[in-house]
Amino acid sequence: MAAILIGLVIGLPWLGAIVIWRTTDDTPHLQHTLAVAFSIAAGLASLALIRFSSAETAISIPMGRYFGDLTFTADGLAVTLTAIACVIGSLAVIFSVDYMHGEGQLGRYYSFVLLFIGAMTGLLLSGNLLFMFFFWEITALCSYALISFYNDDPKAVAGGIKALIITQVGGVGLLAGALTTYSALGSYQVSDLIARAGTIPAGLLAVIAFGFLLAAAAKSAQFPFHTWLPDAMEAPTPISALIHAATMVNAGVYLLARFYPAFEHVPGWTMSVLMVGLITAFIAAVSALIATDLKRTLAYSTVSQLGYMVYAIGAGGVFASQFHLLSHAVFKALLFLAAGSVIHSIGTRDMRRMGGLGKRMPFVRNMFIVGALALAGVPILNGFWSKELILEVGLQGSPIWAYGLMLLGAGLTAFYTFRMVWLVFFGAERDQLHVHNAGSAMKVALGILAAGTFVTWLFFGGLNGLLASTLPFHEIEHESLMELVTAIPSAPATWLALLVVALGAGVSWVRVRGLRLFGGGWLDLLVETSFGFDSLNQTIAKGVNKLAGRLSFTQTGVLSWNVVGILGALLVVLIFLVWSA
Amino acid sequence: MTLTPLNAVLFGVVLLLVVGFYGLLITRNLIKIVLVLQILVKAVVVALVLGGKASGNLGLGQSLAATVIVADTIVAVVALALAVQVRRRVGTLDLAKISSLRG
Repeated sequence: MAAILIGLVIGLPWLGAIVIWRTTDDTPHLQHTLAVAFSIAAGLASLALIRFSSAETAISIPMGRYFGDLTFTADGLAVTLTAIACVIGSLAVIFSVDYMHGEGQLGRYYSFVLLFIGAMTGLLLSGNLLFMFFFWEITALCSYALISFYNDDPKAVAGGIKALIITQVGGVGLLAGALTTYSALGSYQVSDLIARAGTIPAGLLAVIAFGFLLAAAAKSAQFPFHTWLPDAMEAPTPISALIHAATMVNAGVYLLARFYPAFEHVPGWTMSVLMVGLITAFIAAVSALIATDLKRTLAYSTVSQLGYMVYAIGAGGVFASQFHLLSHAVFKALLFLAAGSVIHSIGTRDMRRMGGLGKRMPFVRNMFIVGALALAGVPILNGFWSKELILEVGLQGSPIWAYGLMLLGAGLTAFYTFRMVWLVFFGAERDQLHVHNAGSAMKVALGILAAGTFVTWLFFGGLNGLLASTLPFHEIEHESLMELVTAIPSAPATWLALLVVALGAGVSWVRVRGLRLFGGGWLDLLVETSFGFDSLNQTIAKGVNKLAGRLSFTQTGVLSWNVVGILGALLVVLIFLVWSA
Repeated sequence: MTLTPLNAVLFGVVLLLVVGFYGLLITRNLIKIVLVLQILVKAVVVALVLGGKASGNLGLGQSLAATVIVADTIVAVVALALAVQVRRRVGTLDLAKISSLRG
């Protein structure tokens, strides 16, 4: 049964992608209907798959001597993230019916969305490192195609290419790790790597561990690769929701969580993971303080929350990170889709031109506030429970200064969340904007996600049991929902965190009232250049281009020279062989 | 080196390769380049059979050689057809004159 369902969750989106690719763009109604049908079917299959999760390999297809078997394993970690990808993905598709209404080239849009979802589930369920890399690269390609969906807009194209190049750097890390694993163990199986990590020589294991960390950092937009995600905001908003909540960025956190038991004893690895998460969470939160673009603010908040998850893994809290990933997926999808309704309605993303929109679109305002409160970590929404869990883990598993910084980060989160809500929905109207209310498909998607924000933390016990029982190498303590509900409010750290959150919101309130809405001075400059990392990226890109220009004289197009080159290379190989023999 | 049958064939392969590469270096006529490439591929075909025999897996070598022959025939046909088109449109077969791709 698990085998059939795995086939469905990967196959249905891909089949849908092919079918929609074959439709013509003068039948938009058919395209909307097909996309919604295929994504909802995949979502239902992924929910059914949760019941059949086990640590056993569900599908094993022999692929010859050199690739190992193509295996799929539906263990707790994989099915949880698969369900997130498919369900949130299908809600983003439903939302698209209104958002993309009247747009051209819907075939291309929906095909890539479904291909994206299918590739993500393949990546999560794959038990073979090489095929994991294969799916990993397809998600990168889809993200590029969708970020650059408006391909007549130079900014969108640049954002897409930036995302593609940076995630390719991570892909190299993953491939290097996979090949090193094969050279050390003679197998590409994920389960082999986790079970037999102790038998790999320490140096090689470090190469694999840091290669995977590189891959995860690039995919999840972690320091020093955090620059691509805010630039990816040129995409249509449902795509941003998809990338931020369902597919793309979760892959990096998944990779770290998956291989944590294999790498936790590599010297310096957990500390590196912790530092990457810490630095990312902090600088992204600072960036979000002064961003004036609504989607960019949300993008920075995603980067920051991903930093919290990575930090939790570094501190040893694999379960806490996955719990926060679930909460974050739901409330961030809600925030993005609500922001999408606003942007779709008024036609701008600039928060300086918004203000006072709450009266005109009360439904969207209420939904956005629910998401914002969850992001800030206000009880009893899901973001509160998972963030407190991460801070709890951090208090036990990381240095006290790191915990202090993360606590400060929680305050900053409350600050920018509050500022964002105020700028968009309250205060005086700063510009004459034509507003129309959200469509019904939008309302359905928003309503479901808002309900999810209230209830997903109730799955704590189930998620914990699922992970604890199907991940033999992760040491996850059995905890029930009751224990969570009694432990969190009784811990002094919780009240400290709530105090910091309240303080952040309070300072935000004071600043907003004092009309100093848009930050200022030196901080602006720092954030605009992504703390200098944007110029670093530019330098590298320009350097590569320059080098290519310098080397282009070797490409004469004259056949004789090419033959000389081939013979010269042959000679080098022969000399090397004779010399080494 | 004693002249076993294997060595004799190996010598033949090397000879074909040398002729082929020499031809590639000095030829500028498109038709002749196709011919020279054929010589090189023939060297590869013989080498494949030789490799099969030497490793005790003659069947594999032969089947690979047969595959190469099929693929190579198609390459030769397409290349000759292109050469004919180039001659008709540009009026010459000299590589130096038809080259428009300059770095």
